[in-house]
Amino acid sequence: MRRLRLLSLCCFIIAGAVVSALGAQQFKFPLAPDSVRFAAIGDMGTGDAAQYQTAQKLIDSRVTFPYDFVVMLGDNIYGGSKSKDFEQKFEVPYKPLLDAGVKFYACLGNHDNPNERLYKLFNMDGASYYTYKKGNVRFFVLDSNYMDPKQLAWLESQLKSALSSDWKICYFHHPLYSSGRFHGPATDLRQVLEPLFMKYGVNVVFAGHEHVYERVHPQHGIYYFTEGASGELRPNNLDKTAITDKGFDTDRTFMLVEIAADDMHFQTLSRTGQIVDSGIIHKQPAASAQKITQPPRPTQDSGGSRAASPQF
Amino acid sequence: MNKWINTFTLVLISSATIATGCNRNSAPQQQAQRQAGISAEQQAADAAGFKEFSDRVKDYVKLHNSQEALLPPLKQTVNPEMIAAHQSALGRKIREARPQAKAGDVFTPTALKSFQDVIQTAMQGPRGANADATMKQGAPLTETSVIVNQTYPDGLPYTTVPPTLLLVFPKLPDEVVYRVVVHDLVLLDLKANLVVDVVPGIIP
Repeated sequence: MRRLRLLSLCCFIIAGAVVSALGAQQFKFPLAPDSVRFAAIGDMGTGDAAQYQTAQKLIDSRVTFPYDFVVMLGDNIYGGSKSKDFEQKFEVPYKPLLDAGVKFYACLGNHDNPNERLYKLFNMDGASYYTYKKGNVRFFVLDSNYMDPKQLAWLESQLKSALSSDWKICYFHHPLYSSGRFHGPATDLRQVLEPLFMKYGVNVVFAGHEHVYERVHPQHGIYYFTEGASGELRPNNLDKTAITDKGFDTDRTFMLVEIAADDMHFQTLSRTGQIVDSGIIHKQPAASAQKITQPPRPTQDSGGSRAASPQF
Repeated sequence: MNKWINTFTLVLISSATIATGCNRNSAPQQQAQRQAGISAEQQAADAAGFKEFSDRVKDYVKLHNSQEALLPPLKQTVNPEMIAAHQSALGRKIREARPQAKAGDVFTPTALKSFQDVIQTAMQGPRGANADATMKQGAPLTETSVIVNQTYPDGLPYTTVPPTLLLVFPKLPDEVVYRVVVHDLVLLDLKANLVVDVVPGIIP
């Protein structure tokens, strides 16, 4: 337990030093030959005009940023699970991507029928939680509606067996950290997941649920993104707190991500194409190699005064 | 003296666990109960209640499997219509196979007492506030109820079942899951999206 606390402190302290964000105008994806390129969307399955407009911008983005797959952060299909729901809320808005062979990897949100796991275009392989690998990135897709001991044991075994040289990215629906007013953080979930993330060196976590965009200051060395506004939006619902490094709550958004070797480049775009956020995350070193270079930053639990943002 | 009492308690718990055959499920429950100062007798009673529940679940899963075997196997498909049709057909078959199903068939009165005990202990424990917040996040379901042997309403969102509770509830086979609907604890058949049983008002 003491070792875990020490590790957590080290992670926590180093985290501020490994992100750099560039001005919107300066940001460019490297488009490296062997990089892993994907988009992230969450809470999109409304079937309304806003989803379609955001989807169109996502489709347009592929011209300049040719991503191979899309991670879906839950609430994929709102309001029912009939055939027409899948059609109107997924197959039609993303048709050009599906036709181009872009794969979608979904997790289940609280509005999703669990039997979506059997829908082939969501690539869940019939399971509500699963893992897959792309290049040097291992993805762990969790069902945060139902984090039972069986899923936790599975996650631990998968994290344990993942290559330490790989990026470890987890995604699921409910954010562990959030400054959103409507839902807030899933603290009970955090208590069971975060120790595993810290122990096994998870680098980045994506979630949805809160209908805003938020990039949280690294917590215990882990980067947390909430992208829950790719269809739904809860305008002006983000109470930026000490943990918010970037927030946006006035329009729909989606994320583009490229992982090239030890750098993760990300850009968040709005429905109108406005660059909401961008930056580069350098892969955190293995716990044993970490050095203390920065004073600790606040956590959602501890509050406290916020240190100046490094390299922003 | 204290050491003797602790040893006696552990032996009693172990005996009860072995006797009821549900040691796989009961360790976290008993750990939480021990920490909360629940008597060994109470823990043994709860273990027995959970054993009864687990037996009823097993019986249900047998029925589920027997009915599903009558249908064409459902594989992953690009056609959501097939998923919905399978869900619907399986639900219908199970309903027909248990026409007299009613609340309390699986959450028996004995099991119910065990669930009440562990829920109370967990919600009053150090993680109780987080578990409570998890269930009340955002727009929790209100004035909604589900009916035994009926389909879980299409489009009705799911409340996160707090990991704190899942840790102390008996483990379930893959065919069924726990759900929380307002203050009710529900046992749901995943593939059939069917309410197997419900305990009204057990969640604070």
